[in-house]
Order: sequence, then structure tokens, then C-alpha cells
Amino acid sequence: MSDVLPSAPRTSSDKPGGAHAKAITLVRRDDDREDLRRPLSWTLMRRLWSYTRPYAPMRATLMVCVMLRGFQVPLMAWMIAAIINGPITDKNWSGLRWGAAGFAAFALFTYLTLHFRQRLALQLGERVVRDLRQEIFAHLQRMDMAFYDRTKVGRIISRMSSDAEAIRRGIQDVLFVTLVNIGHIGVAAAIMLWYDPPLFALVLAMSPLIWMLNRYFGRRIGVAWRQVQESMSRVTATLAESVSGIRVTQGFVRQEVNAGLFHDLVRDHADYNVRAQKLAGVYIPLLELNSQFFLSILIVLGGYQVLHQGFFAGIAGVSPEMTFAAVVVFVFQLPQFFTSIRTIAQQHNVALTAMAGAERVFALLDREPTQLEDADAIAPPRIEGRVVFEDVTFGYHPDRPVLHGIDFIAEPGQTIALVGHTGSGKSTIIKLISKFYLPTAGQLTIDGVDVRKLETDALIKQLGIVLQSNFLFTGTVLDNIRVGKPEATDEQVFDAARRLDCLDLLETLPNGLYTQVGEKGGSLSLGQRQLVCFCRAMLADPAILILDEATSSVDTMTEARIQKALEVLLAGRTSFVVAHRLSTIRHASQVLVLDHGHIVERGTHAELLKQGAVYANLYRQFIHATDA
Amino acid sequence: MPAPSKPRSDASQPSTPASPAQTNGQLIVRMCGLAWAWRSQVLRCVLLQLILLALALSGLGLLGLGIDVIGHAFDPISEANPDGNKPPNWPFDLTPPQDWAAMSKVGFVGGLIFAVAAVRFVLDRTSNIWIALLVQDIVVKLRTDVYDKLQRLSFRFFDANESGSIINRVTGDVQAVRMFVDQVLIQVLMMAVSLTFFTAYMFSLHVTLTLACLATTPLLWLLTGYFGRVVKPAYRKNREQFDDAIRIVSENAQGVHVVKGFARQQEEIEKFTQANTKIVDLASWIFWRVSVFVPLIGFIPQLNLVILMVFGGWIYIHDPSFTIGMLVVFSGLLQQFSGQVGNIAQLTNSVQRSLIGATRVFEILDAPLDVQSPDMPTRHGRPRGDLKFDCVSFGYADGTEALSEIDFEVRAGQVVAILGATGAGKSTLMSLIPRFYDPTRGRITLDGVDLKQYELDALRHSIGMVFQESFLFSNTVAENIAFGHPSATREQIERAARIACAHDFITQDLEQGYDTLLSEGGSNLSGGQRQRLAIARAVLLDPPVLLMDDPTAAIDPETEHEILEAMGDAMKNRTTFVVAHRLSTLRRADLVLVLEKGRLVEVGTHTELMGTGGHYRDAADMQSADDESRKLLGMAEMPREVHRPAFGPYVNGGDA
Repeated sequence: MSDVLPSAPRTSSDKPGGAHAKAITLVRRDDDREDLRRPLSWTLMRRLWSYTRPYAPMRATLMVCVMLRGFQVPLMAWMIAAIINGPITDKNWSGLRWGAAGFAAFALFTYLTLHFRQRLALQLGERVVRDLRQEIFAHLQRMDMAFYDRTKVGRIISRMSSDAEAIRRGIQDVLFVTLVNIGHIGVAAAIMLWYDPPLFALVLAMSPLIWMLNRYFGRRIGVAWRQVQESMSRVTATLAESVSGIRVTQGFVRQEVNAGLFHDLVRDHADYNVRAQKLAGVYIPLLELNSQFFLSILIVLGGYQVLHQGFFAGIAGVSPEMTFAAVVVFVFQLPQFFTSIRTIAQQHNVALTAMAGAERVFALLDREPTQLEDADAIAPPRIEGRVVFEDVTFGYHPDRPVLHGIDFIAEPGQTIALVGHTGSGKSTIIKLISKFYLPTAGQLTIDGVDVRKLETDALIKQLGIVLQSNFLFTGTVLDNIRVGKPEATDEQVFDAARRLDCLDLLETLPNGLYTQVGEKGGSLSLGQRQLVCFCRAMLADPAILILDEATSSVDTMTEARIQKALEVLLAGRTSFVVAHRLSTIRHASQVLVLDHGHIVERGTHAELLKQGAVYANLYRQFIHATDA
Repeated sequence: MPAPSKPRSDASQPSTPASPAQTNGQLIVRMCGLAWAWRSQVLRCVLLQLILLALALSGLGLLGLGIDVIGHAFDPISEANPDGNKPPNWPFDLTPPQDWAAMSKVGFVGGLIFAVAAVRFVLDRTSNIWIALLVQDIVVKLRTDVYDKLQRLSFRFFDANESGSIINRVTGDVQAVRMFVDQVLIQVLMMAVSLTFFTAYMFSLHVTLTLACLATTPLLWLLTGYFGRVVKPAYRKNREQFDDAIRIVSENAQGVHVVKGFARQQEEIEKFTQANTKIVDLASWIFWRVSVFVPLIGFIPQLNLVILMVFGGWIYIHDPSFTIGMLVVFSGLLQQFSGQVGNIAQLTNSVQRSLIGATRVFEILDAPLDVQSPDMPTRHGRPRGDLKFDCVSFGYADGTEALSEIDFEVRAGQVVAILGATGAGKSTLMSLIPRFYDPTRGRITLDGVDLKQYELDALRHSIGMVFQESFLFSNTVAENIAFGHPSATREQIERAARIACAHDFITQDLEQGYDTLLSEGGSNLSGGQRQRLAIARAVLLDPPVLLMDDPTAAIDPETEHEILEAMGDAMKNRTTFVVAHRLSTLRRADLVLVLEKGRLVEVGTHTELMGTGGHYRDAADMQSADDESRKLLGMAEMPREVHRPAFGPYVNGGDA
């Protein structure tokens, strides 16, 4: 085809800079994009097949149905031809009635088989995928924090959605449909071969052509549709940014420019679409042409055979009547035969997608979480809260440590403030205490026991963690607070909020503590979310409390209120506080100033100010910022 | 077996049009109007489809003819051979010359079959491409129109609609509307003609046989209808259940700190198991029905075949003009016919979907632009920047009053600081100035002229804006700074960046300087860097009025001073409104407005308000470093009572 490809959107590199806008949004290609297809692999297929083992009786019934179906469809087509060739041509009325009754009975039997074939295949696929999803989810729960640090949420979700979906289709359709169609092809071939071998030889010669056409166009159409999807994702990305950035657009009077750019983008997408349609527009008519071509050949050659005794004139027992009957049989068998070849070719494509999905899902399942506890780890009783870092070094990658020789002691009930620039290692210390990771070198002990000897789950149950990204689950505010202690009664939840002196603030929500939050519910303000997280920690009543920049996104008016709640929360627990606002760490028992993974200063607020070094400078900067 | 709960009456139910203003009839008329705009393209598509249909029928007829020619040639019926094959019925009495050999006739028919197929191939391809072109033209036009309109709608619209729903109108709903043209209008025309065609052709072959074979048609129709009514909603419901399960996964991945932190793994697994089981339970219910109905829809045409064989066979035996070929043709026709009847269900489905899409698309196209330029705008040069709020009140669509009777005045070049808790109306007050909303009562004047008298675009061009979390587009740094003025030169861009203290980090920290591509939401920059870019963007056009909605809100105090400096530079010689909590900013202001629940509760300079001892003083006190720390640092105590020249060189004739 001579169609000119719509040019891909230009990248920014050729632009002198700001002469004229070329796009609203430049969409970058994801470098580590996932494969859409993988070649068929025995290992993967065997592993998938093993998931059907719990449903062995269902699987066995299904296989019987599949075999029956393989015979039934070509046999039905043969029956029609046989009835036309036999009783109808012979004008045998009673034969015709019996034949028709037989056909009807057989059709009913076929219908029932198909019902079970479909139903069982669908159910088997759904159950296998359910088991897979369950296994993935449970596995995800076991994965360590390092995994979550490195893996994007979108990736995790697509294991569960698109990959599981591909596997489902692989099981529900590909396997059984392919088997049924192989049956069709075999039986139809046998029937045709029985009636007229030379005519069938011709059919056989045509088959590879249909297969190749399918593969050729299948691949090209696949590529074309991928381009359509990519251009659509550019449209959607631009659109999403246009909606989110509507204030900027209107504020800066960019409507005209954006409209023009968007039009180009949509046009571009449309061109890709037309291109894909052009391919599909050849392919399907071509298949139709193919079978028509074959029918015309059949008529001519069949006629030649019948009228001139054709090429097989010498062979005994081939009468013109038989050849004529064969032509009628072929007219009914052929569509089935060619359709089956097409179907298998299409299923092949689906199978490749399923392979890619299966490979990724199994790769996830095969990935073992890092072992965080020794075999003889114990569940600690009520923790006192003495946390000791002894020369602790840690790196997310072993050769690039982000903490160097950290050494400090937090006595029970103390508040330890961690201060330092972004990237200085504050949050990493917090993650070590929370046992999301283990130290690379050195020792971290809680109440004198190395964390490796403490059962992770049991330890974490005694920790309270409030992060800057205060995450709320879908559900009511009450449910979200109860996360800290699932068995708590409503009254205990209210009590926790009361002790933090913020019950009244939460009760001003539309439905009080029963207000829905999360994706489906209304949104709470940052301050309100923070309060919910504090209540959650309060309810859990942990021995060790961790606050990671918990107040940094709250406005001053609300902050005043939260400060009071915080004081109640911190009382009587070993607490680790990371805060940007230096005002919140004035009362800490110990301030650790971090820089590039080293503790550069330590002491109380007053001591450090007197030293007049790093912390004092930071604090002076802070005063300047507020005083100006 | 669990029954699915009743499908929710969501927007996809055709019986509940989203906008009461338009009935389904009106919508259909409007969509026909849309098709009318492309009438010649629509017409040529329909014509081509009809020709294709006629060709398909002739191909089928020729096949039957071929069989009859062969059959008759080798075993002709005669008095002596009553069981022989009957002579073929040549269409339109076009009998080939008598002297043709039987084989020539067969070859002729075979050639015709292929010729017809070849023509069909060419036309079929053309038709597919024509339809694709038509569809894409309509989609491009609709998408562009909707997008264009979207960008002009006032913020009330964006407040009332979720962004997902808005995006969907430009993507999915537009497709649903164009579906009316290619899948409803063209299909209806086609189907009307083709069904008539098929029936007429079958009638011409044999009247009673046709009637007998079509007897099962209503059954087929009913079945597909039932399927659409019962199973489709269940599929939708199943989809929602699946989304619920995925939400659990997504929440667990995002909130993994909480899950692990509170050792919630077991509870979460149970929650997921429940969701997962629900999916499979409903799926089984659906599968049961699907595997009853789908095969049944294939089974009914088989019944037709039985009727055809019994009744057709009987006719063949008794009617001398009825041939084997005709039986073959009939069976082919019946298949085509069932296919078309099956399409009817598909068609009603398409109509419903396009109606829903149309309400949502037209809702946008018809939405009134409630903030518009006056017909006769007063022409001004660059405004000086005197702003006056004259008893301004503002309420949102749901009737809540966001601002009540706001009354104050600023002179050109002055700095106004606005303070208040979340939801007090600070942002709302600011968005009235560039007319993102119009006041419900009262008026705002710029240089003594009502804002509504200005040409809207010119007004907005003279106002620079910096938002709380500045939205940056996934584009280059330069493109983002030049957002309001795409044809700005590199020099202008750099000058703006220098004012915003952004030039240094752009040229030194970013690998490709001004051509560095920002990732989504500018997430590859720090908060302070993002805000400085936003300030550069705002001052590029040197606007006389500058609005800054708490630009330091999302920034670490350690880096805050970088922005404060940028803000200070940007404020020079501009009337500036700044929402702020930081004392440093409040001190600089010529006027501080304290808002509480939409009311102006305190107005004055910092010094004045510190003297009155209201909320302002509480907020201010909480932020200041305590005196003890100051002493330790050897700094002077808080000069609370001392009157300072508020803003020094930045203020033109400030009355602080």
C-alpha cells in the first residue's frame, strides 16, 4: 500500500526552545514496556495445566465434551448433504422424515454437548484464575518492603488484571476451542477424503495459503492496532492533563493554542485508525474471496469429474452419481473446514498473549521475599521500647550504602527527633526500626534482642506508624481507625479519638465517624486525614511510635490542634519523629542531625543550639524564614 | 446458585436520560442531523453495502445453479428417468445457447462465481475503508468540538464533574455518538433493504417454504432480546465486582506501609478472598446462562434446516420445478437471514449506547458559558492594578455561600495577604479576580471599571497566577514557562526564570536545561523547583496583577526561603494577592485579610492585627520561634510590638 504513514509526534529535541508550542503534553515511551506476546512454551503450559488439577472431574467431563464436539459439527454438515443426496434426490418421503428426525435429534445432542463444553470451560477458566489471583494476593502480602519500593503499583495491578485476564482467555478459549477445531478439521478431512480424494487434494493445497494469510495479516493488523492504542494513549494523557490543568489553561488564556494542538493529535489518532482499518479491510474480504474462489473451482472441477469422468475415469467404482453427491457434500463441508483453520490461527495469537501473561504472573509468584527473621525468632512479649542502633550500615543496594555507622540508644518513653535534608537518611532509619529492611552491617536491637530474632509480624504489631502519605482505605472513618486494632468496639474507637481531643473535629464530617472515605467516598482534608491516622495509632496503643513527617502537609490553623493531639500520643512511648517543621521537635529527648547517612550532631534542642553548628544553622534559617 | 442483586439503575439505563431537557426523540433527531452533515459519505457507504449484498446473493444463486447444471447434465430427468435431476432454472430466463456443451456451461457458471467474488472483494475493501474514513471524520470533529468547548467552560462545570467522567466524554462517549451513524443509521437502512431482499428472493423461490422456514425467527429475536436484558447487566455487575477486587489490590500496594505496619495481612487476604469469591459466584451464574443461550442461538437456525429438509424435501418430491440447487441456495439464505435477525439485538444495544453517549456529549456542547466577554468590551491599555471588592458575595451551585459581603480596596502595587483555615474561602476569593467565577452579588472593579466590562482574555492576560500545587504539563521546562505565551523567545523565558530564581537550577541541575522534559505532574522536580517554574510562568507576561495561592504550602521549610526570594522578586511593581500562613509573608503585606467561613473577620496590617489579639495573633504566635531558642542562638527576642517598615523597597506608597 502506498499510504503515507502519519508521522509520529516530534520529540522536543529538535526544538530551538519556545518558538511555538508543539504539544500540550509530550508522552514519553515507557522504556521498560512489557512484552505483549511470548512464544508458546511447554513449561508454562504444563504449569498452567497443573492449576486445573483440583478440578479433575470437571476437567475430565470437559475433555469428553471437547471430543464429542470435534465430531459433531462436521457430522451435522454431512447429514444435511446426505439427506439431500439420499432421500431427497431419490424422492423417498419416509426416508426423508426419518433422516430429518435423526438430524433434529442429533442437533439437540450437539446443542447439549455445546452447552456443557462452554459452561465447563468457562467455569474451569474462572476457577483457575480465581486460584491464581488468590495466590498472587497472598504472595503480595508476603513480599518485603524492598519489593514495594521498587515496583510500581500499576505493575502489580496489571499482574492481577490484564495478565490474569489473558490467562483466563487462554484457558477458557484457546485450549478447548483449538482442540475442538482440530477435531473439526480432522473429521471434515476424513469425510471429504472418503467421498472424493482428488477434490480433497485440492482443498488440502489451499489450506496453507489460508493459514499464511492469517498469520501475515494477523501480525500486521496487530502492529497497526498497537499504534492505534499508542496514539490513543497520547490523546488520553493530553486530555487528562488538560482537565487537571484547566485552571492554568484558562488563567493563561491558552484555549486556542490547546484546541489546535489537540485537533492535530486527534487527527493523528484517526489516521492510524484508518490505516489499521485498511489492513483489516483487505484481510477479511480476502478470506471471503478465497473461499469463493474455491467454490468456483469446485463447481468447474466437480463438473468435469461428473461429466467427463475426470482424471479418475479409470478407477473402478467411481460413478458420476457418487461424484455429484461428493460435490454437494463438499459444498457443506468446506465452510466448516476453512473456518476451523482460521479459528486456530486466531487462537494462536490469543495463546501468545496468554503466554506473556503467564510468564509474568509466574515470575512474580517465583520471587521469594527477603528473609527478615531467623528460624529461631521469637514473638516478643509486651515491648518496653529500648531501641539500640550499634554501628548500623544499610544500603538498598549493598554496594551503595545510604546509612553509615549509625549509633544511638533510645530509652523507653523517649522522643527521638531525626533532622536533616531530604535524602540524609532519616526515613531509612525509620524503615529499619519498622523492620521493612534489615541492616546490611551492625546490629539493631529492641529491648536487647536483635531484630533478626524477633518475629516480624509480632514486632510490627507493637509499632505504631504514621506517615506523611497518610493512606486511608475505602470504608468509613471508623473502619480506618479500627485498622489499628481490628477487634476494637465502636466505643473504644470513639474513646481513642476523645483521648486525642479530636473527636469533635471528626464528628463535624458529613456523617461523623461513619463518613465514607477512600476512592469511593468524599475526600477529607489533609488535616482530617492526619487526625484519622493519629487515632489509628492511638487505638493500636503501640510501645514504639513512628511519625514520619506526619504534620508537614497541614495548614497552620489545623496544626495548632494537631500539636496537642500529638503530645497526648507521644506520652509514655518510645517515639521517633521525622519533621520538617523544626517547631515540633523542640521538646524531643534527643535530636539526631543526619547528613548523607551520618549522624553529624546529637543532643537536646538546647544543647545543639548552644553548640552553634549544623542544627543551630538550620534553626536560624527557620527563624529567618518565619520572621523575614 | 446465587442470583445477582438487582442491577443498579445507573446512567447506562436508557430509561433515565441524564438531561431532562432532551428526550430520546430529540436526541435521535439531533444525531440524524449529525449524519446529514456527512450525507454524501453516508449515502455512498449505504449504496456500496447494497451492491455488495446483491453480489453475495448472486454468488449464492450461482452456486446453486452450478450444482443443478452438473446434476441435470449427467442424469437429466425425463419420462423414462423420473428420478433424474431436474433442469436448472436460469435466472431471468437467460438460458445459455443450446449448442454449448454441458461442460462449457459448468465452466461458465464457475467463472461467473469467481468474477462475482472478485468484484465483491474490491468493493468490500472499498466499503470498509469508506466507513473507516467516515467514522474517523466524525470522531475527529466531535472530539475537537467537545475539547474546545471544555476548555471554555467555567470552573463550576469542573467542580461538578469528576475528571474521569469528563475525559470519558471526549474518548468513549464521542465514539458512542458516532456509532449512531455507522452502526445504527447505516445498519438500519441496510437491514431494512436486505431483509426485504432476502425475503423477496426466498419468496421468489418458494412462498410457503419461506414462510415455514421463517417461523422460528421471532423466537430468535426474543432470545437475543432476553440475553441483552438479563445477562448484559450481570456482566456489568461482574465488571464492577472485579473493579472492587482490583481496588483492594491497589489499596494494598499503595498502603503497604499501613498493612505491614499494623500486621493486617491476614485480614486483607480474607477481604480479598471474599471479593474474589463474589466474582466467581456471579461469573458462574452468568456462564450458566451464556452457555444456554449462545448455543441456543446457534441451534435455532439448525431447526430451520430441519424444516427446510422435511418441507423442502417434500416440495422437491412433488414440485417439478424445484431443484437441488435451490435447496442449497435456500439453506445459504436462511443462514444469512438468521445473521441479520441476530443483528437486530445488536442494533437496539447500539441505539441505547449512542443515546447515553449523546446526552453526555451534547450536555457539554450545550453547556452555557456562564463567564463570557461583554459584547462591547471597554478597551484599556495595561491596567494599573487598583482593585476593589464591593460587597462581594459568592455561592456555589449547591447553595452554600462561600464568600459573604467581602469589602476592601487595594492600590496598584500593594501586597494583600489572605489568611484563614482550610475552606475559609481564600482560594475562592482569589478565583473571582481572573473571573474563574463571577460573584453572585456585589462587584469587583479593576482601575475603577467592573471586571465584567473587560475583554475576558485580555483581563486574564494581565493577571499572573501561581497555585498551591502548581500544575506543570508533561512537556519541556521552556514550554511550561512559555505556557501563557507560546511564541515567547528564549530571552523572555530566561528573564522570567531569573525573576523566579529558577534560571540557576534549570541550567545547572537539569541535564538538558530548558529543554528538559518534565515527567507527569513535574514529579522529577522538587516542590520548590516546581513552584519557581510556576512563578516564572506567571511573570513571563509581566502582569500588573499577581495572584499567589499559598505557593509554599507543599514545600519544606529548609528550601522555603528559595521561593520566598522568588516571590519577593515577582511581587515588585505588581498588585499582589497572596494566600499565606508564614509570618514572613504576612509581615510584608500592606494589608492582611483574615477570613473565617467566608467572612472577612479581621482586616489591617500585620502590626495592627498583632495588637488586636484575635485569631491572627494566635496563628502568628504558634509559628514564631520561642524566645528561649532565640536567646540560645544569640538572636534578638521577637520584636512583637515594634513597628517595622513592612516591605521596604517593594511597596509603592504603602500605607502600612
